[in-house]
Amino acid sequence: MLGWEFPPLFSGGLGVATYGMVKALRHSVDIKLIVPSNGGSASLSNVQIIGLNSITSRELSHEQMHFSLDELGAEVHRIPLSVSPYKHVNELFEKNKLDEWDLDVEEEKAVESIHKIFSDTDVYGYNVLRKVSLYTKLAEQIARQSEFDIVHAHDWITFAAGVRIKKNSGKPLILHVHSLETDRAGEHTRNAIYDLEKEAMMLADRIFSVSQYTKDQITKHYGIDSSKIHVVHNGIEPGDTPRKAHQLRDKLVVFLGRLTHQKGPEFLLETAEKVARVFPRVKFVVAGTGDQFGHVLETTAYKKMGGKFIFAGFLSKAKVDELLSMADVYFMPSVSEPFGITALEAAQHHVPSVLSSQSGAAEVMKASLKADFWDTDKYANYIYALLKYRALNHELTENAKAELDALTWDHTAQKIWNVYQQLVFRN
Amino acid sequence: MPSICFYFQVHQPFRLKHYDCFKIGHDHSYEDEPKNREILDRVSTKCYLAANRTLLNLIKKHRGKFRISYSVSGTALEQMEKYRPDVLRSFQDLAETGCVEFLSETYYHSLSFLYSRTEFVRQIGKHKEKIEELFHQSPTIFRNTELIYNNEIANFVSNLGYKGIICEGLDHILGFRSANFLYHPPRNKGIISLLKNYKLSDDIAFRFSNKAWKEWPLTASKFAHWAHQVAGNGECINLFMDYETFGEHQWPETGIFDFLTHLPGELLKHPDFNFKTPSEVIESYQPRGEYDVHALSSWADIERDLSAWLGNSLQHDAMERIYSLEKKVKEANDPTLLDTWARLLTSDHFYYMSTKYWNDGDVHKYFSHYNTPYDAYINFMNVVTDLEHVLEVRSEEKELAAIKELA
Repeated sequence: MLGWEFPPLFSGGLGVATYGMVKALRHSVDIKLIVPSNGGSASLSNVQIIGLNSITSRELSHEQMHFSLDELGAEVHRIPLSVSPYKHVNELFEKNKLDEWDLDVEEEKAVESIHKIFSDTDVYGYNVLRKVSLYTKLAEQIARQSEFDIVHAHDWITFAAGVRIKKNSGKPLILHVHSLETDRAGEHTRNAIYDLEKEAMMLADRIFSVSQYTKDQITKHYGIDSSKIHVVHNGIEPGDTPRKAHQLRDKLVVFLGRLTHQKGPEFLLETAEKVARVFPRVKFVVAGTGDQFGHVLETTAYKKMGGKFIFAGFLSKAKVDELLSMADVYFMPSVSEPFGITALEAAQHHVPSVLSSQSGAAEVMKASLKADFWDTDKYANYIYALLKYRALNHELTENAKAELDALTWDHTAQKIWNVYQQLVFRN
Repeated sequence: MPSICFYFQVHQPFRLKHYDCFKIGHDHSYEDEPKNREILDRVSTKCYLAANRTLLNLIKKHRGKFRISYSVSGTALEQMEKYRPDVLRSFQDLAETGCVEFLSETYYHSLSFLYSRTEFVRQIGKHKEKIEELFHQSPTIFRNTELIYNNEIANFVSNLGYKGIICEGLDHILGFRSANFLYHPPRNKGIISLLKNYKLSDDIAFRFSNKAWKEWPLTASKFAHWAHQVAGNGECINLFMDYETFGEHQWPETGIFDFLTHLPGELLKHPDFNFKTPSEVIESYQPRGEYDVHALSSWADIERDLSAWLGNSLQHDAMERIYSLEKKVKEANDPTLLDTWARLLTSDHFYYMSTKYWNDGDVHKYFSHYNTPYDAYINFMNVVTDLEHVLEVRSEEKELAAIKELA
């Protein structure tokens, strides 16, 4: 299995999903998981986790290593670190090709350099393409020396590795789509990452999508045959969190996520303005930052809405939990959200959700209020109702909790296992 | 001599328009008139007119031997008066044959018995006046909304002077007894309970077009054969159903009208069988025992209880909110305002909020024009919030006027 984010290092839902899935799957499958960084905190029986940040030379075979020290050295073209890992990935790709990172080095130093590159706490960062390139080569090496029946790769950062391993080994390839370039950069995007995703998906034996919504996106924007795409919804670790009272006299509407176009910050602003008009005692708490932050801040000031917003910046998991335990409404107006595990986390905190219909969470949580991502009148009406009518709040959170009980990782693992079996016994 | 007793329910609510939070305080008209008109038009064409024509012909053909009854809600009658006088006329034609009885119910097809006895009585009175005005007969048999029933309701209605009440025939109450006899509530012989034969009723209303049903296709002669088996072991077979069974729930293509056309003839082939209306049934037969119902029952869903209207916290909240306005609305002493409020008591508004079976997307969804029960609740509550606002303004105006008078 080829993964990217993994505890303790993750910036989004991918790490949570990979961990939950592997944890449930290991009871029926032997897994060798290759990730850029293994912090060591996550050890799971029956799972061999290889973190490239601590890989040994034994794990790499001598004769097939061709790395260039020059490339691994300090001579990296540094691009100013932006808060959004995704945006400059696009820029990077336009300037470079994967092949330019074909490396050739002596063993000892290579291993040291590899550790250094993958010890970065930001699994994306300015040099993400370099990591991807190296990851691809290393994963390929490791695979050459391993016995396995199936390659299972998560998101574009590992797709190239998956394709190479399939080509070398002839084993079936499953690509697991947690997010698409068309989600992150807009549906009309056709860049190098898009091309990589498309080519890999054409070659793949099977594709797992985290939602029906994402499956539809894959067929619509990438022209992939829908018969090889299986919808495998994410699960959620069971949990029940007590509510906390807050000192504010205003009701709290919480927005969690990167402030990028994908997450719909302009619709957040428009909705907030409309809600405040009919329900003045409200505050919108924005947790997260991103390339749209300045724009959002300026707009709130211009519209004299500053008093209605609290900008909390990027929050740790513990802080997010605390915030959710005080929230009255969770609001996710994403333009395109493959899954949106945060809506499920909000439900665990007994917080009702107003969600974009263009999301995977909307299809698994019937007990939520949904509107098209641009329909700010409808969002506002829903938020107003949740703030005003307590029975609605109660009914939604109770029903959502019941739905969460069915969304287990074991259930997800069962679906995955069924497809594994089809692929293995087909051969 | 067993009697077949038909009662058909006719009802249309005043459906609400899309009413979001931005309209509160600004827009005081709540109804979706185009939609109400459109639905009445559709149901009129598919069911009311077609079925009325069929039944009128049957009554004429059988020269008084074929007899039926209806309960028509006040909200349905009002909409017919407003949008489809031709449909109302066709019901009046039926009434004029002397073979058709009209029953009493709450004008607004409400659950008012549970929340306000005053309002319950007011609505029954208003409905009675309407029936007298339109059909020139005074109802003596009561049917509560959705056949909601228990001993308390029966006794209350008995005190209002009614001789009979319509209800569901519940197996767990009847035990080994049959619904095909008359009963009375415990220690009250002043009112007769007419129990629905749910098996035979549902064979027509629900199973008629079900091809997976082993009895499909159901013919008039087969049905008559089943009914005839009651001979010697029952006095009345109460076939109670929604009128929309004919043409709307069971489409014309299923052969439902053909079935209906042949049914009276087939049933009358047995020399002992006849047709009677509910009041004729209770004149003809004696009650055979007590029908003792404590918990509230209804004819809805498999549970036969109130969970379709009061099954979740949204429904309870909405119901309590709207009834909490009764005092203020009545104090305002404005007939239009009273009517606006009372239309919001119609049971359908609460039915749309049901989350029961919602996941299976079944019959409840079929009857709702909302996408989700949450939408139904939100829309209703926004309207109630506006009505509260209107009432507040009214009372402020009154106070101001009083102050001015003092000055």
